[in-house]
Amino acid sequence: MVAKYVMLADTTRCINCKACEVACRAEWDTPLGYSRDWVKEVEYVNAKGLPEVQLFPGRCQHCDDPPCVEVCPSGASWKREDGIVLVDHAICSGCELCVPACPYDARWLNPVTNTISKCTFCQPRIDKGLQPACVETCVGRALIFGDANDPNSEVSQLLKAKEWQTLVTDEVNIGPNHYYYTAGKAIPDAVMPKLNERHLSGTLMENIVNPLGTLGIGGMMAVFLGAGIKKLIDRRQDVSNKEGSHEQH
Amino acid sequence: MQESNQSGKASRRAFLKGIMGTAAVSTAALSLDAQARIHAPHELETLKDYEEHWGFCDMCYWRCGLKVRTRDGKAFKIDGNPEHPLNRGVVCGKGNSGIQVAFAPNRLKQPMERTGARGDNQWRPMPWDEALDKVAHELTKVKEKYGPQALVMIGHGTWEKPYHRLAHAFGTPNTTSPVFGLCCGPRGVANTLIAGKNLTGNETIDLENCKYFLMMGRNITESLHNGETLGWIDGVANGAKVVYADPRYTITASKADEWLSIRPLTDHAFLLALIHVVIKGGLYDKQFVAEYVTGLDELAAKVEQYTPEWQEAITTIPADTVRRIALEMAQKAPAVFVYSPRRLTRTSNDLGTGMSISILNSLFGVWDRKGGIFTPQTIKVPEIDLPEFPHAHVSREEGHGDFDFAHNPFAVDVEGKIQRADGAGVPGRWPLANPQYGLTNEMWKAMAEQDPYPLKALLTAGGNGFTNSTDYDTVRKALLNMDFYVAADVSPNEMNSYADIILPEASYLERYDDLQIGGAREGFIALREPAMQPLHDTKGSWDICKALSQRLGLEAYFPHDSVADMLDDRLKKAGYSLAELKEKGIIKKPADDAINFPREMGGKSVFPTPSGKIELIPSQLQALGMADAIEWAEQPRPKDGEFHFTFGRVGFHTHARTQDNIWLNYFMPENLLWIHPDAAAKLGISDGETVEVKDPKGRGGKIAAKVTPRIRPDTVFTVHGFGHWDTRMTTAVGKGLSDSLLASDTREKHIGSISMGMNMVTVTKV
Repeated sequence: MVAKYVMLADTTRCINCKACEVACRAEWDTPLGYSRDWVKEVEYVNAKGLPEVQLFPGRCQHCDDPPCVEVCPSGASWKREDGIVLVDHAICSGCELCVPACPYDARWLNPVTNTISKCTFCQPRIDKGLQPACVETCVGRALIFGDANDPNSEVSQLLKAKEWQTLVTDEVNIGPNHYYYTAGKAIPDAVMPKLNERHLSGTLMENIVNPLGTLGIGGMMAVFLGAGIKKLIDRRQDVSNKEGSHEQH
Repeated sequence: MQESNQSGKASRRAFLKGIMGTAAVSTAALSLDAQARIHAPHELETLKDYEEHWGFCDMCYWRCGLKVRTRDGKAFKIDGNPEHPLNRGVVCGKGNSGIQVAFAPNRLKQPMERTGARGDNQWRPMPWDEALDKVAHELTKVKEKYGPQALVMIGHGTWEKPYHRLAHAFGTPNTTSPVFGLCCGPRGVANTLIAGKNLTGNETIDLENCKYFLMMGRNITESLHNGETLGWIDGVANGAKVVYADPRYTITASKADEWLSIRPLTDHAFLLALIHVVIKGGLYDKQFVAEYVTGLDELAAKVEQYTPEWQEAITTIPADTVRRIALEMAQKAPAVFVYSPRRLTRTSNDLGTGMSISILNSLFGVWDRKGGIFTPQTIKVPEIDLPEFPHAHVSREEGHGDFDFAHNPFAVDVEGKIQRADGAGVPGRWPLANPQYGLTNEMWKAMAEQDPYPLKALLTAGGNGFTNSTDYDTVRKALLNMDFYVAADVSPNEMNSYADIILPEASYLERYDDLQIGGAREGFIALREPAMQPLHDTKGSWDICKALSQRLGLEAYFPHDSVADMLDDRLKKAGYSLAELKEKGIIKKPADDAINFPREMGGKSVFPTPSGKIELIPSQLQALGMADAIEWAEQPRPKDGEFHFTFGRVGFHTHARTQDNIWLNYFMPENLLWIHPDAAAKLGISDGETVEVKDPKGRGGKIAAKVTPRIRPDTVFTVHGFGHWDTRMTTAVGKGLSDSLLASDTREKHIGSISMGMNMVTVTKV
């Protein structure tokens, strides 16, 4: 069976020590000011009037139905069979259409490479049998990564043992593969995905330009083909006319 | 989809072929699927090769085991050594940022001599030989004029040891490390007096199995040490109840079942009331007390007055809460733990607070029990053979790189020998203070006042006296008093900007250091080896001290040609070798329940006090006439318009030394002043506005406010370590406000350690 990679974050074990973020930066040499992962600290006053803090480590959610892949005009953004959403840097033009398409703000233009950067679940590491860098260094062991299709994996066991939530709303429900355990607490709005207004241009690409492009390429080929046939007919006509005229002369 | 799973490298040519293939197919094959748009195998990144080197961390003082990954001769990633018991393979944000210590562009890169005024940062680079000659010459001059005791050596870090040795060989007893007087001294003294055992440094608590944590301001998730924090989180996940007492709602509070918003400086009162309830209610471990404890009746009489109602007025914690906690803990005992703050230097009577914690733990019978305090395993590694230190009346305990009170806890006078200038361990002055580490706060005062005798030369190895102490004027005066000051350091900071000569140290990724010998449930010896060659013209501290010892005629104290030879020598004396240690970076003695938890396993506990028992009223205190230390001492309270001033840590900074690390500064470029919404409203302060904080002496400055319910209305808080002014600290300079300006520099009355929490401040909108 093909693997389905998922990330679990037990927020009760996260302490916002930033180990994951720095490990990711060191591992993938991301430029300062940008990060492939993050920890959101949300503070609020609860129903009893007491302060509360929740911590949400996050990164690309490697969605089942990723809009970043849909809007990508070059096909650089793609999804591997095991569920990992990747960017092919050889193809990525850095057009940034995928950036607002992601409701989790997980993508950004790397100013050094001029291509899009994001969490890859440390694909080169996991292909070698290692854990993602953030998971390996996580001080509270709050992050757990693995193959949800393997019934013996730690993530499969944990997914069964505890109540997990995903960051989905009525508006954004695209099958994230990043799960959160909050010991029953509701996930604050601040952490929830938001449809980015700038995503409109991406939607335009997704729903109109790409189909149009598809049609366009077909149309173009049809035009070329038509043009070729027309040219052939015209040529024949031309020749026959000339022949005719010759005959006339 | 089929191509997408191919992991082989797709060449550019294959990609182009794919494009052409795509172009060749009919329009019908083009779908909306992006993968179909590019009908070619995608390029997959592969992991490049790397080498691994062993180390232990230098980003804080817990010292996790590391594997440092290098490529092309340069370190690029720090991982945890999974075999190391202090971190079990994990490394925090600070540890991961160690790479930027080595690669910082503003590192101290070559020896330098000061050319301008002290603190003005005008320097001339010089060759090593010239620098070392000059240091030896200047130190000798001071020795000839004032005697060897005129040299003060202040160290901080994993690389201070050879400097301590050099100073002792030179003949001065005046070597200190801030860890005692400015941080955890009182808790160590308290445990040593009561149980004869140290309980600080690397904690020996069976965290995973504990069932009830009473955290007295121990912000274990933000003042974090990996293995300890992980063990605690495991304990909480295993169902331990957590009661967290702190004026501030920290991340630790967010993991707790209950947050007690206790008034600053009053932990002692709360703990005394708990002791009162535990004794009066017979909630203590009667069998343990009968067999192992002395002084219960006397203590009962002393705490008679400290009722839960009495403490309520002081701490603002309801009396019923105290009674309930005492009962809950008794029900879970001995798998319970009253957790001391690590930095117990806050009030005028930190010894009383520390003793109360130790007493409660003892009454619950937690020593040598599962879920309580365990007895660590150790591997004895003899020190190299050295001549006796000729002059110092106390010598550093050489066998232990770590904070350790186990040997020579309280120094006694030896006729005819020079007494320490800070009074640590000196009868009639601060006999309870540990002379191995000294009272750094008192040493700064001694240097500033030139009392009790001239102190004219200073050698520092790391540390920053300005930001770890609490009175800039004292530290500045002390530094200006020196005939000669030599600073050995990796990075620039305010203190070393006052040096005459700077000796640049190799970072901990570029050098060997002495062995790490530790005691957890497993005993261990760990290795630090260079992961790469030094990036600059720097040296490790052993090489620097060896070179200095040769110039000072003290070469007998540094007999090995290289650090590696010294390590091998030490290891061979213990029956191992450097080659063996290099295999896993660590040599371990396995955990053993019979040794870790003797009473759980039917054995006996050992308490090396004078009576051989837990002494609730310590005989050593009685002998010193200090048995009243257990009594509550009134603490200052804010007048109308004033606030308690508190400071603390975040998980991604260590003290004042990581704010200039570009990777860590990214998370918090400056600190904020936490203030409660009610207090802020009264003063007209909105979130994010700049305010001015001042203490009664007029010290202070401007800082942005964070208006949050996460703090008591009578208290303000800020994160420690900001407000740097050294222009060489290019990332941190000028950002935030230093808490060291506002913390008090009064003294704990029994030990002489600093009391930083006694200042009240005013806050005004700017």
